[in-house]
Amino acid sequence: MNPKNNLLIGAIIAVVVVMSYDVGVDPIAFAEGLPNLGIVLKEMTEFESEHWGTAFWAMLETIEMAFIGTILGVVISLPLSIFAARNISSKYVYAPLRALLAATRTFPSILWAILFVIVVGLGPFAGILAITLYTIGFISKLQYESIEAIDYDPVEATTAIGLSKLQLIRYVIIPESAPHLLSQILYMFDYNVRQTSILGIVGAGGIGFYIINYIKFFEYGKAAVFMLVVLITVLVIDWVSVKIRDKYIMKAQHGQQVKVKTN
Amino acid sequence: MDVQNTASFSSIATLSVIQMRNVSASYDSKSFVLKNVSMNVERGTNYAIVGASGSGKSTLLKLMNGMMIPSDGVVLYNYQKPDLKNKQYKKSISKIGYIPQTLGLVKNSSVLDNVMIGGLPRLNSINSFFKNFPKEEIQHAHDILKLVGLHEKSNRKVHMLSGGEKRRVAIARALMQNPDILLADEIVSELDAVTAREIMTVIRDAQKKFNLTAIMIHHDMNLALEYANRVAVIKDGDKVLELGVEGEKIIDFQTGDMTKKEIWEMYNEPKK
Repeated sequence: MNPKNNLLIGAIIAVVVVMSYDVGVDPIAFAEGLPNLGIVLKEMTEFESEHWGTAFWAMLETIEMAFIGTILGVVISLPLSIFAARNISSKYVYAPLRALLAATRTFPSILWAILFVIVVGLGPFAGILAITLYTIGFISKLQYESIEAIDYDPVEATTAIGLSKLQLIRYVIIPESAPHLLSQILYMFDYNVRQTSILGIVGAGGIGFYIINYIKFFEYGKAAVFMLVVLITVLVIDWVSVKIRDKYIMKAQHGQQVKVKTN
Repeated sequence: MDVQNTASFSSIATLSVIQMRNVSASYDSKSFVLKNVSMNVERGTNYAIVGASGSGKSTLLKLMNGMMIPSDGVVLYNYQKPDLKNKQYKKSISKIGYIPQTLGLVKNSSVLDNVMIGGLPRLNSINSFFKNFPKEEIQHAHDILKLVGLHEKSNRKVHMLSGGEKRRVAIARALMQNPDILLADEIVSELDAVTAREIMTVIRDAQKKFNLTAIMIHHDMNLALEYANRVAVIKDGDKVLELGVEGEKIIDFQTGDMTKKEIWEMYNEPKK
């Protein structure tokens, strides 16, 4: 290894140590408190199985919220991403729009959920609005970036043919940028299910409401049931989205399926 | 020069579709890609432009369809100045079928959708947005696909096609424009000799059927002499030679008759 690298690594370690001191990282407290985690985990294993049903319905509500929010967000972000793409829209359109979209991404959806609880009251609707807003900010960014990254050759060729702007968007821009859309939607849905699971903490509906309340009242056995349901759901969604990716996206983009290693 | 031959060449056509008068072109206003080139393409000609890479061939085509404005001189298309900013010209531009070297196909769309793009300028913008095409236009697209030999694969996505098939799609899209001129930039350069000749034959058939004027850039002098009846050789942004081809006979408009072999030996760049 060359000395320059050693110096850099040393400097990074020094910075981490100084910063840790600054924010009060305390390894001794961690070591002393570790048995507490053991107590919590032990209590968590004492499932209270009569709660499975409630947990299931709460999870279903969470998934519904995430699904509605994702779809609404995607539908709204598609036209927005075209207006926000620098290679299609005028500076006076994309600049303010990009600033607005960046603003929606600045805060995590749980902060938006607090705002929407104030606007529409407690319950899942506030959560859906928060998820929708965050999805708009996120998918729009991913989409306008893939629009800006499209191959310029077809644009040039079809401009020479004399296509109108609307036709150019419909027949060149959208088909060229769309293959990534399905995988972006899957990713977003996956992310939104996890986000929606904690929105209940601020009263915006979903399974998080139960988790936070049981933890507050030290009922770890009940909380564990709900957390386990979230874990299983996320694993299932992950598995399903891998299947969908393999079947549709890889084939559509590369004309072949993924070669999975079997050994 | 043989008087009879000159007569037969001038009788091919009387009307010029593209005229370039003392055209110079530059990308950075310092060095010129083309220097003082004059050219006259008559209706019905099968025109080939030959030259080494970087000689200014592609620039020549871009000047012809208005994608580039000459820094000096004029280019006239049907006695009209090409200018993409001019609405009147934009209407008539759909009559110039243009196939760039990169082909410019929409890879994730089907063959049929790519071909339909050629017809879009004459279709209503709103209706075409919803893929609501007139029946006769769809039929026309299928007829053209049959002509280029891709009828069976009209629903295939373009990225799944072979190099030769992609070129057929690009030709079909250009024909869908109902063009009177076909501009093609090195359309067969990257193909093997057999496929290259297949593609050239497709173009020749289409040209006969639709009565097109074709202006094609070639890398290979052999192909140019085989398929064109006019050949211009470009070297360092200058038109150094213009030939007329009739069967085995070649007329150099500056030095007189030569055989194909002699021309080929003179102007085909040795492979590096």
